[in-house]
Amino acid sequence: MLIQHLDPLASSLFSLLAIVSLLLSFIMLGSRWLKNYLYAFAAESWAIAVLSAAVAFYGNYPELYLVALLTALFRGMLLPYLVWRIIRRLDVNREIHVVLQPSTSLVLGALFVMFALSVSYRIAADLSLELTVIVLALTVMLSMKLIGFLMLTVRYEAISQILGLLVLENGIFLGSQILVPGMPLLFELVILFDLLIIVACFGVLVGYLQTHVGTTSSLDLKRLVG
Amino acid sequence: MIRDSLLQIAQVLTVLLLSPLIQGIIIQFEERVQRAQGPGIFQPYRDLWKLFQKQIVVPETASWLFWAAPVVAFTCMLTVPILIPVLTNFPLPLSDMGDILGGGLILTLGSFMIILAGLDTASAYGGIGSSRAVMVAILAEPTLILVFVGITLLAKAMLPFVVNHLLVSSWAVYWSPAHLLLVAAFFILLLVETDRMPIHSSTHIEVYMIEEGRILEYSGPLLALLKWASAMKQFILYTIFCNVLILPWGLSIKGTALGAAGAAAGLIVKFTLVACLVVVVETAQSRLRFYRYQEPLAASFLLAVLAIVGTQLS
Repeated sequence: MLIQHLDPLASSLFSLLAIVSLLLSFIMLGSRWLKNYLYAFAAESWAIAVLSAAVAFYGNYPELYLVALLTALFRGMLLPYLVWRIIRRLDVNREIHVVLQPSTSLVLGALFVMFALSVSYRIAADLSLELTVIVLALTVMLSMKLIGFLMLTVRYEAISQILGLLVLENGIFLGSQILVPGMPLLFELVILFDLLIIVACFGVLVGYLQTHVGTTSSLDLKRLVG
Repeated sequence: MIRDSLLQIAQVLTVLLLSPLIQGIIIQFEERVQRAQGPGIFQPYRDLWKLFQKQIVVPETASWLFWAAPVVAFTCMLTVPILIPVLTNFPLPLSDMGDILGGGLILTLGSFMIILAGLDTASAYGGIGSSRAVMVAILAEPTLILVFVGITLLAKAMLPFVVNHLLVSSWAVYWSPAHLLLVAAFFILLLVETDRMPIHSSTHIEVYMIEEGRILEYSGPLLALLKWASAMKQFILYTIFCNVLILPWGLSIKGTALGAAGAAAGLIVKFTLVACLVVVVETAQSRLRFYRYQEPLAASFLLAVLAIVGTQLS
């Protein structure tokens, strides 16, 4: 396994990139503006792409270079562009009804990180892999998932919900890049295609919501219609 | 021993004499960024001189607290420089009186006395100012404690000198995520505690005042003491930020007179760098609404928590 014999520079580079992506997902959690979510998501995807390239370089997995390129292109440019088009069409700029104030959700996110840390200590101890970078990767992965769930639950606007879903997926991808590098390339392509289809379907769905219900906020979707 | 005592006195004098200069540099830079002429970097000294020449007017409702508060606040700010590395990177006599938490306690005692004085005169603005200042302190204090805990976990010691040595000796620790996150968290606290932009509390409109509202009733030399004390508080926080966290180099190692003078000159350079950063923030950032004050502090809290997570992993 690559991760067990890394040189210190590589492991600190991995930690730095993982922490940068965690911070970027906190920016998404703490901001009110949809544009900021989008920029943070794009930057996070680029950080993960750099991480894949670093794993490819240090672990000699040539196919991971392709994965890095695809990540940067799809997650870093194409998906944000599609979401940006939806935002522009809908003409929404920010969350209007917030369930939790941004500061409250930041503090909640900090608690999630602590929870994730204690869980990943347990997991790493059970697998007897008590390396720093492994615990860190597990922590970042779990906390990004929790943050994604938090964004899905406390945001009403459809755009923030799709971005919450994408953050969740980014977290899983980041963890898998560090923990089990060298996944078959086909998996990666399938996942990317899935994401593309999710966002495309979402665009269509949001368009329908806008024309038929007149809103994209899930707060107003209370009545069942036949 | 005598030399060390003299150095300790020099540390206090450095803070006392250079603190208005830093205030002046920040104000002057800000004016120049806004393409105004600016009052010059020595204006705070002239202000203090002017205030010391004036007469004291005391409200009828004031008690002894009104007189005691400026003196206590000023004395607190004279005490803290003894505990932290201002000029030398080794402990001087009496610097073992308190650790980082002790320094924080004395700093807070100064603002606590000013809050009491604001309430003491029973003026409406003093009350509003005091209650708002307490609100900001309640939001900032947990983060400050968490930053201190993070520093302690990083260096396995509560003394600022140990942290300084650790950061100078090891690049790996300096560039570790835990340290960088602590620097970011402390920078936000620095902006909040020294009245800078996201929570700009010293406007000249009474309704919006926070820190200034508490000292609205003061005049003459007492006001000068309070202004000087707040400039010294800013200097002390900058010293902790530079010498303990971000720029731990350039302190006197042997403790010679030349080294101490060089360290003082170095302090001015370092503080000017930090001041440039502060001016950028002040220019780019607008003032937050009162009900959004918790946002920068929540971000700072979060960074401190992440730093502590980082220290657990290294």
